[in-house]
Amino acid sequence: MPRFLTLLVLLAAPIAAAGVRVEICEEGVLRSGWPATEPAATESFAEDAFGLFELPLKYVATGVRGDRASPTLVRASATITLPPGRHRLLLRSRGAARLSVAGRMVLETPFDQPRQFAVGNAGELPVEEQETFIELDAGVRFLPPGNREALGEIAWEDAAPREVVLETLIGGIEPKSKRPFRPELGETIVAVSLAGTGEWRLLAPSALQVPYTDAGWAAYTAERRERFAVMNAAARAARRAQHAGYWEKRRAAAHAWLSSTPEVPVPTLAAGFAAHNPVDHFIAARIAQAAAQETPRVRSGGVDFFREIKPILEAHCYSCHQGAKVKGELRLDTRAAALHGGAGDGPAIAPGLPKASALFQRITSSDPEEVMPAKGDRLSPRDVALIERWIAEGAVWPEFPPGRRSPTPLADDLTFLRRVSLDTVGVVPSEAEIAGFLSDPAATRRARAIERLLADPRGADHQMGYWLDVLAENPNLINPTLNNTGPFRWWLHESLIDHKPLDLLVTELIRQEGSERFGGPAGFGIASQNDVPAAAKGIILAGAFLGVEMKCARCHDAPTHAAKQSELFQLAAMLEKKPLKVPATSSVPLDHLRLGGRMPLIEVTLAPGTTVAPAWPFARFCDEATAAAIAEEPDNSRDHLAALITAPQNERFAQVMVNRLWQRLMGRGLVETVGDWEKSSPTHPELLRWLGRELVRNGYDLRAIERIILGSHAYQRAADPAMTEPSPLFVAPAPRRIGAEQFVDSLFAATGKPFAVEPVNLDLDSVRTIENALDLGRATRAWMLASTSNERDRPSLMLPRIQAVADVMEVFGWRAARPDASSGIRENAANVLQPALLSNGTMMTWLTRLSDDHGLTRLALEEQSPERLVERLFLRFFTRPPTAEEANTYIAALAPGYAGRVVSRTDPAPAPPVRRKYVAWSNHMKSEANSLRLEEETAARRGDAPTARLDSDWRRRFEDVIWALLNAPEWTVIL
Amino acid sequence: MNRRDFLTRSAAIATLAASPRALAAAAAAALPKGRAEHCIFLWLGGGMAQIDTFDPKRRGNTKSKPMLAGSDYAAIDTAVPGVRYTEHLARTAQLAEHVTAVRTVNHTLGIEHALATNYVHTGRPVSGSTVYPSLGSVVAHQRGAADERVPAYMVIGYPSVSRGPGFLGAKHGYIHLVDTESGPAGFTPPEGIDAARMAERRRLLEPLQKTGTPDSALSDYAEAQREALRLAGPGFMRHFKLAEEPAALRQSYGGEFGQRCLLARRLVQAGVRFIEVSHNLNFINGAGWDTHNAGQLNQHVLIRELDAALASLITDLRDKGLLDKTLIALGTEFGRPGQFDSGGGRGHQSAAFSLLLAGGGLRHRGAYGTTDEFSNKPVEHGVSVPDFHATIYAALGINPAKELVNASRPVPITDGGKPIAALFG
Repeated sequence: MPRFLTLLVLLAAPIAAAGVRVEICEEGVLRSGWPATEPAATESFAEDAFGLFELPLKYVATGVRGDRASPTLVRASATITLPPGRHRLLLRSRGAARLSVAGRMVLETPFDQPRQFAVGNAGELPVEEQETFIELDAGVRFLPPGNREALGEIAWEDAAPREVVLETLIGGIEPKSKRPFRPELGETIVAVSLAGTGEWRLLAPSALQVPYTDAGWAAYTAERRERFAVMNAAARAARRAQHAGYWEKRRAAAHAWLSSTPEVPVPTLAAGFAAHNPVDHFIAARIAQAAAQETPRVRSGGVDFFREIKPILEAHCYSCHQGAKVKGELRLDTRAAALHGGAGDGPAIAPGLPKASALFQRITSSDPEEVMPAKGDRLSPRDVALIERWIAEGAVWPEFPPGRRSPTPLADDLTFLRRVSLDTVGVVPSEAEIAGFLSDPAATRRARAIERLLADPRGADHQMGYWLDVLAENPNLINPTLNNTGPFRWWLHESLIDHKPLDLLVTELIRQEGSERFGGPAGFGIASQNDVPAAAKGIILAGAFLGVEMKCARCHDAPTHAAKQSELFQLAAMLEKKPLKVPATSSVPLDHLRLGGRMPLIEVTLAPGTTVAPAWPFARFCDEATAAAIAEEPDNSRDHLAALITAPQNERFAQVMVNRLWQRLMGRGLVETVGDWEKSSPTHPELLRWLGRELVRNGYDLRAIERIILGSHAYQRAADPAMTEPSPLFVAPAPRRIGAEQFVDSLFAATGKPFAVEPVNLDLDSVRTIENALDLGRATRAWMLASTSNERDRPSLMLPRIQAVADVMEVFGWRAARPDASSGIRENAANVLQPALLSNGTMMTWLTRLSDDHGLTRLALEEQSPERLVERLFLRFFTRPPTAEEANTYIAALAPGYAGRVVSRTDPAPAPPVRRKYVAWSNHMKSEANSLRLEEETAARRGDAPTARLDSDWRRRFEDVIWALLNAPEWTVIL
Repeated sequence: MNRRDFLTRSAAIATLAASPRALAAAAAAALPKGRAEHCIFLWLGGGMAQIDTFDPKRRGNTKSKPMLAGSDYAAIDTAVPGVRYTEHLARTAQLAEHVTAVRTVNHTLGIEHALATNYVHTGRPVSGSTVYPSLGSVVAHQRGAADERVPAYMVIGYPSVSRGPGFLGAKHGYIHLVDTESGPAGFTPPEGIDAARMAERRRLLEPLQKTGTPDSALSDYAEAQREALRLAGPGFMRHFKLAEEPAALRQSYGGEFGQRCLLARRLVQAGVRFIEVSHNLNFINGAGWDTHNAGQLNQHVLIRELDAALASLITDLRDKGLLDKTLIALGTEFGRPGQFDSGGGRGHQSAAFSLLLAGGGLRHRGAYGTTDEFSNKPVEHGVSVPDFHATIYAALGINPAKELVNASRPVPITDGGKPIAALFG
């Protein structure tokens, strides 16, 4: 066991200043060993104690996360006064560190990351090494994974102050691969135990007392993290301010554009409709218009187009005959187009005359060259008969599905509060939020709730899952080879916290500046094992921000979309800032396609090997000259592209963005296919344009549009529980399926059970270089998780607590890995795995078990009647009081023994810490690592011990009630 | 001239030529079509060394200096004349007439575990625009469960995107379990919740299940919930009671991997269509099948465990009359070279490796394809991963060229894979 004893007599030196000054030195630092001359500080900040675990983040460009140099030297210094005596000092660090007192080195730790790498990168670090540690007094924190430590004793002669300097090197370069390690501080601390005491605290120049125990450290780091968040926000703001001049010009240009183009008139309110704001005027006008148009065409008793015909067309025809680009120039997605027919085939539908309708001829043809569908199975006789009868009856094709045509009244207040809370901050309202809402005057409480929620930082958390899907963020914790990106989630989250205008946000994404591996938008540019990453990114950008579907154009011209492969490669070349050569792996051999069968459905007009120059393929949205006028650096093709996408002249961008928001809040987009505008037309084109202009008018702050939509009568209406699909006329919301992140976050919030999972990191002790191991940190909300991606099937690489939560999230539609872009609309049908995992899964065991740290344990300990307890449970879970039947059932279950339920109201003493060995990549090949991980898995499955403060019989019954309430179907929909 | 006229005339001109569609139909008829009803896919994560298992060559030596390339063990004869396996596969060797070791599988997807694992599961390289479904998901999609009371596709192992349904969507995904005793998460009550307490919980849930409107989002969920509660009942969970099996049979299957195989057989009987069984509980040699350096030392223990499980599975299925309708396939992401690394183990090699097929009504031959001196390259009858997949699909009566639909895009089940014709007929 290493034990450094340093016996020194230290002389006092006069120095000033209170607090610990932490200096960050990125220049003049050696790759290994200590520099001969003290490097100058490139940044500094004040700390209160010798306790370092994170640095303020470094921001570059407009305020995106950047990388620090590898290695970086961190120097912390302070003037310390201790009482005279022989005191013990403890130094811990992740990188090499040394500690000097009054100019003399007293303690040091080695820089042994390269050695750890040599063994640990193969997963062969002996687990037994963890048995080597310095034995300290009871209660002191155990050495965290990957940290080094040294202990010494110093003789402090008098009470005079002395200068203490701690230096550490973080990051560093692995000598063979020359790749950097993650620049992490781990737990870099100096702790002191004064003579004659067995207690340790962080060394600090002030009166601040931070006990170096688990609880002391947890409180200290929690407080620091909040401070760092404030410092980081200020650093971002300062960076952004440096570019304020340019962005003010952009705002001015946007307003100039607005005033030079005609406004969209807001219709007068149709008679008999309620309205809160202009949105309702547009909606009412459309309902009235639809009603006026369709009355004569509706015919009863015949074939129902929406129920019986449209599903056939969708299943067999729409892949080629829907939208702007179709096969044989035939569209079958509107009645007018079907009546007109395709090229040379006559009308697809001749109302009343099936035999004269090309559609009917084609589906009944016996000629293999003629019959439709061209590929796959023929239509069933039943479907053919239905189409024949439908045409014979006159091919009745109403514009909207039958059903409700009059708006529902407003939802009641609490239903509204639940809905708006889930839609903005992603969790159900707390008891306090409910009480606050109800105590506001009835006339203004909804508007006030909207304002409160829009200002709530949890709003950023709520939006994360959506944008990670759409932008296909796909980090992998280890060895990223599956089309993985960097973890640009952190940039995105900070952008949402800062309410960054959308044009700036998209510009930053396209510029791809900052850190690749530590959360900058540069991480977006990566696509591991992809032959043309920029083409993959072009697909994402086009779908996300322009509603242009380009997936097919990755290897050939899209058969039923406008996109040509050359266009995607032009876009990709803009992202690459240079001409791009099309690799053979990004094409389809044509001879392969022409083998047998009818005309191939796809065309390849871009030969492999062709070089494609950067160019803007979407002149239809916005003229290329626009960019030259507004781009910050018009010669930089990324900037050029960003300007073209986000320019006010490009109305498509603003409309796509408001449409995405509308879809999320209203359950259906004004353009239904939010990522592919070729496949459906807007139901409310004027409203869409009006909202798009409002976004521009409000400086691209999406919250302004959110405020309008949430405030509308249309949003606040009572849901029609019978509706399974949202009404395209927005007469009433349909119940919407809750999102995976909303659900998991709400379950933890409502029960008050801490969301405690492993660090999202398989390289805890930081032995791997940055390209092969990511640290995604401590997850506090569901979106922060990532795939545990145990492709190696090794138990030791399992993260059982994360997996328990991820299992639930995945069955509710969360994508653990996102190798491709998603439209943003998740598959959300009910499936049997959802209730299965809720009734019996590990996460549910945690939520149901009344442990000491469970919020419902605290609730049960409060003095209140069983009636009140049940009422509060319902408020916390369902944002409503129980019905009489519900109240009776649960009060009856809890009443027996209720008076005697409390065994003790005092908090239990914290259990003494137990030294546990850790499992990480560094030791995962060792058998013992597997055994340790399986123990962790068992512990996770078992859950925390139940509290002893409640009578165990009553506690079990209360747990059963909680189980039932957590399994209520009501949880799974937003009403 | 409209298109119809054009086509009519062209047809008249080419009177003697069969229409392309007819040609395609003829080609489809020539495709072998097997009769297997189920598939058990054994997954040996890490990269099984073919030269130490199913493709033995002359003995090497790690003790000599320099080390001599070659098999680390002796080879033995099998039940199929002329076909030899390693000595540690003694039981399987006796059953070689039910087995084909496909010795010439190869790919160029590189030698990184996750990437190659993805390829051997999906048969397609990673793409930024499409997430391809795994073998199991395709089979689940094409054939569904054989009994509606059980899932179509189960994984005994850890979840991963490679095993997932890709563009086919979540309902063609798998249900996974890690612990053979407790069954899949979600279908076994947690520890300490006995039947009485479960019944009480369900009673308490009832008032909350009254969702009013039928066919609504709420009632759909309530319906799924009733189904889940039924599955969690004794009917489905009975299949996980390995203790019902005779002790001698359980013993013959061997350790945890064998027990997983036994469970797979029970799941086949229950009607599960596709079961992936993972074997890489790396307790035996730390590295599992990823036998670099010292990982080689205990590799024979792993091989023997595989032998016991595989041989027991084959005989057990045969004894129960299930072997012809159950295809056993063995997958691994790549193989390993005949040469040793500096630590006496073996590196990765994707240019030639062995995968295995057994049962499933195929015409087995002990081994198929030949590799060179140290099994570094195929010499004859090379088999691509899509070909191997096509063989599995064909054995299960699925046309490997059939087009699935990803959004509006047609995607053939395999990327041009051709079934190994010699195994059919």
